[in-house]
Amino acid sequence: MAVAVGDQFLQGTTGRNTRGMLRVIILCTIAAAAVSSRLFSVIRFESIIHEFDPWFNFRATKYLVQHGFYSFWDWFDDRTWHPLGRVTGGTLYPGLMVTSGVIYHILRLLALPVDIRNICVLLAPGFSGLTALATYLFTSEMSDSPSAGLLAAAFMGITPGYISRSVAGSYDNEAIAIFLLVFTFYLWIKSLKNGSAMWGALTALFYGYMVSAWGGYVFITNLLPLHAFVLICMGRYSPRLYVSYTTWYALGTLASMQVPFVGFLPIRSSDHMAALGVFGLLQLVAFVEFIRYQLPSKQFQTLLRSLVLLIFVVAFGGLVLLTVSGTIAPWSGRFYSLWDTGYAKIHIPIIASVSEHQPTAWPAFFFDLNMLIWLFPAGVYMCFRSLKDEQVFIVIYAVLASYFAGVMVRLMLTLTPIVCVAAAMALSQILDTYLVAKSPSPQVQANGSAETVKNTASSMLPESLRSTRSPLVGIYSYTSKLTIVGSVTAYLLLFVLHCTWVTSNAYSSPSVVLASRSPDGSQHIIDDYREAYYWLRQNTPQDAKIMSWWDYGYQIGGMADRPTLVDNNTWNNTHIATVGKAMSSREEVSYPIMRQHEVDYVLIVFGGLLGYSGDDINKFLWMVRIAEGIWPEEVKERDFFTPRGEYRIDDQATPTMRNSLMYKMSYYNYNSLFPAGQAQDRVRGARLPAEGPQLSTIEEAFTSENWIIRIYKVKDLDNVGRDHASAMAFEKGNKKKRPSKRKGPRVLRVE
Amino acid sequence: MRWLLSFLLLALLGAVQALSSSGSRLLVVIEELEEKEKYSQFWGDLKSRGFSLSFESPKNDKLSLFKHGERAYDHLILFPPKSKGLGPNLTPQILLDFINRDGNILLTLSGNSPTPAAISSLLLELDIHLPPDRNALVVDHFNFDSNSAAEKHDVLVLPPPQDLRPGVKNFCSVGGSIAVPRAVGQVLGNESPLLVPILRAPATAYSYNPKDEAEAVEEPFAVGQQLSLVSALQARNSARFTVLGSVEMLQDQWFNAKVETAGKETTTANREFAKQLSSWTFKELGVLKVGKLQHYLTEDGKKFNTSSLSVPEQNPRIYRIKNDVAFTIELSEYVEDHLQPFLPPADDDLQLEFTMLSPFHRLALKPISTTENATVFATSFTLPDQHGIFNFRVNYKRPFMTNVDEKRQVTVRHIAHDEWPRSWEISGAWVWIGGVWVTVLGWLAFVGVWLYCEPMDRKAGVKKTQ
Repeated sequence: MAVAVGDQFLQGTTGRNTRGMLRVIILCTIAAAAVSSRLFSVIRFESIIHEFDPWFNFRATKYLVQHGFYSFWDWFDDRTWHPLGRVTGGTLYPGLMVTSGVIYHILRLLALPVDIRNICVLLAPGFSGLTALATYLFTSEMSDSPSAGLLAAAFMGITPGYISRSVAGSYDNEAIAIFLLVFTFYLWIKSLKNGSAMWGALTALFYGYMVSAWGGYVFITNLLPLHAFVLICMGRYSPRLYVSYTTWYALGTLASMQVPFVGFLPIRSSDHMAALGVFGLLQLVAFVEFIRYQLPSKQFQTLLRSLVLLIFVVAFGGLVLLTVSGTIAPWSGRFYSLWDTGYAKIHIPIIASVSEHQPTAWPAFFFDLNMLIWLFPAGVYMCFRSLKDEQVFIVIYAVLASYFAGVMVRLMLTLTPIVCVAAAMALSQILDTYLVAKSPSPQVQANGSAETVKNTASSMLPESLRSTRSPLVGIYSYTSKLTIVGSVTAYLLLFVLHCTWVTSNAYSSPSVVLASRSPDGSQHIIDDYREAYYWLRQNTPQDAKIMSWWDYGYQIGGMADRPTLVDNNTWNNTHIATVGKAMSSREEVSYPIMRQHEVDYVLIVFGGLLGYSGDDINKFLWMVRIAEGIWPEEVKERDFFTPRGEYRIDDQATPTMRNSLMYKMSYYNYNSLFPAGQAQDRVRGARLPAEGPQLSTIEEAFTSENWIIRIYKVKDLDNVGRDHASAMAFEKGNKKKRPSKRKGPRVLRVE
Repeated sequence: MRWLLSFLLLALLGAVQALSSSGSRLLVVIEELEEKEKYSQFWGDLKSRGFSLSFESPKNDKLSLFKHGERAYDHLILFPPKSKGLGPNLTPQILLDFINRDGNILLTLSGNSPTPAAISSLLLELDIHLPPDRNALVVDHFNFDSNSAAEKHDVLVLPPPQDLRPGVKNFCSVGGSIAVPRAVGQVLGNESPLLVPILRAPATAYSYNPKDEAEAVEEPFAVGQQLSLVSALQARNSARFTVLGSVEMLQDQWFNAKVETAGKETTTANREFAKQLSSWTFKELGVLKVGKLQHYLTEDGKKFNTSSLSVPEQNPRIYRIKNDVAFTIELSEYVEDHLQPFLPPADDDLQLEFTMLSPFHRLALKPISTTENATVFATSFTLPDQHGIFNFRVNYKRPFMTNVDEKRQVTVRHIAHDEWPRSWEISGAWVWIGGVWVTVLGWLAFVGVWLYCEPMDRKAGVKKTQ
């Protein structure tokens, strides 16, 4: 009876409706799973913005909500990059903030006054649900199998490679950008398939949204032209390509130019020239096709071909010339570092110093993608079997993204969607083949997909082999069906387990609040960051300038609401190098720098007591390197290493190291925590010198509970005109030595 | 606002009795109270100027410069102690702390009693050097008083001090000559910009230890103009510290005494000098006060805002690049018992700096008007084409005048998107605007023509296929 009812529901028009209904339900479930698996951090900690960049985005969103869109557009932020300020409205991607702002206002319109912080915290999980949906649509365009899309959506929903940047609280551009990326690709495939200007315009629209949301839009800007170019080279030019590409390019470029930060880049920077070049090439090809259609003469065709080639070469030469002459901006440093992983370390230490710009370690692929990583090549291979326009796209995307993900940890994010799609295609193929209860009959294949598989297989496999002469793909044995289906299910379950484990353990820490486990298993929260930031907020004047390494700039701006010298928007290398120099020089050198920049407080992060390895002493060499890039005469990296080339902080440390402001601030008074001579740094595992460093130009203002954050106040000039060192000595009761015997000629006072 | 209030209160008090600008509680630390009779005229002068004097011995255990963490006195006169030092209540640290908290000190030395080590170490801290011999005196074989020191040549008779340099006010240029008996010469360090000599020894003077003749002549501690008989240090918080090399100068016997030098007999102007010196040290002279400080946009054409004094500062916090702004500041100078309009000396200028890291503008502030007790200085300029966080800064630091260092932080923002000229206002853009409209109209025309042209042959038209 139940079977009969099931059959009734699964056949005919009702069957289609039921399947559609099921699909919707499954997609909703997937979206729910995607959202809920990202809520670990909120449940475990609290609804808080994570890490560094999100704090700026949060602050900008608050500004937007408070002051309205136009003043956000013209926002000049005088609380960062003191004293330069930042034209924030013109140097950010506003998509994220505007999205949250719109959601905020819509909710208010619906009489749901939700705090803007909660919207920001939950934006990324919300959009990850949409990403799953977009992945479903994208994959459905690629594969005939109905299960591929759902599998891809499920993969996309829970794969750690994407979760890493989209847990609740991780309010970063990527939160919405990955959705936009996948959706733009879906629209592009759709418009390419249909040759429709409407879909092309939609592609451009979402491309514009993407440009406003993330700097990674350049990936689309180059991938779509590459796709078009490959299609042309393969001889797959079609009016559909022409319509969709030109529509996208013209409208998309105009849309992207509306973002102030992008402005005229689409026609001036090398990164965007490929799109322009392919646009031109497409016109030529279209023209040639048109001519060929009118005059079908073989000689004329060759002539035109060579003409096309010539024009292409001339245009390319012109582009190179313009680049050399400087009209078109050359490739940016970040771009070079994509090709040469050692480039940044030599030329732009500031880029290399960011951990997410490091090359990816191979276990990271498995960690982030688990079983998808070995299904991925199979899926890509399957694209070759029915190579249509959209499959070419998958192949190109797969190749490019794999390379980029290998070069930069952060670009794992762009690889993840295509891995999910390709893996889903491979897995759905397996399931479609093995999950058929009926045995295939040799003559008439009952299963549609098996039939296509057979046909394509027969067309591709060589005829010489006996076994492939009349290939019949289909499984007869229930044992093998059960084995395969069983193992696939096991893999899928393991995958879910792995994803949950990774999400909960690796990606759900806000990094503003640290957690540790007590011996009895209870959780202990280490909240030094917020303790220190709130100390600043409550105990310092509203416009007290805080100097810290740039990593903490956004957090100080967001949580302590105090002006900072440098922050995570590293637009001014010289200013960062100035801070690096102040940190890595002697006090006598640092003090004038701090005075000039009106610094009131210096904030450092010190993990020595707790064993927190992400502290400033471990980042110190980057400060030195960046400072050395600007002042090679005054700051030398070599001086911070012992003659044997070791980076030490104990009594073997070099004098330069021990006299540097950063070292002194880190270990000032640290001895007092330990019995004499027992001071121990738990991060570096070193015993500190018996006598701690002395500070004269700055004084300790605040040290957090676990000593993670230490804040120092910069002293004013000495009231009676002494230098700080002698003032300190006087304070301690050391009498100034009278110059007993004058050396050399007497210095006379001229006034 | 608080400024104004205290200023008003001060003016009220000033009407009642003449008084220093920073309080009237004056402590005199003198070891032997009988000694003070010798200085009765000096005390009288101080009292008549409104100071309330208290005399304490350094040996008094209860003597303390601070009470409940605040200064108990505003000014301090230290007499050279007969005993070894000033005791535990007046250590160098405490004295320095007194200065750091805006207290003024007049420190007197004497050639008769050796200077305690505590004092010389304090002076060393301030970069004022005393002769290593504790008994050293300043002698001059040309400018001595032949009435009282015909033999020893240790009573110097000097003309009133000259201007330190052009453009600096001189508060101690008294009419007559000054007698300086048995002075301890000081040498001022070369580094500190806070130190100034008030009275320098003449070119022929030198420091000399009468008890140890041979060595002093070999290598004198200092000679000539390098020796300062009266020197001053004005700390960064404008607290004043004066070192008077000879306490005897303040004694009644040297006030209007008859002295004879190089055969000429004159009357000393020591009384006048002591008055000026103590007035300066206790901030009755050379005190600058900043009144209202304003900066504002002058876009609407009016150059300077001359609204009433009572309006508090309502300065904008943000400007745009290339804005025209004006800056006004009111400065008054406290003279003895009242505030009067301040005018810088002829060779000097009050300057305004508009700085971010370094000055973008450094402009002379010109006096444009005077009120009852202040001069209004003003200037106007166009902001630089650089956005950032700038400071309007008036940094006027001159010897003998209290420091004026006024900063007002303003933000200079970039040009907002709707502040640029519209495209049609730029003649260079007309070509492109024309191009846009020609394209638009051309396309519309084309569409019109296309729509209204009947196809020649329907069958010949190729059906569009995808």
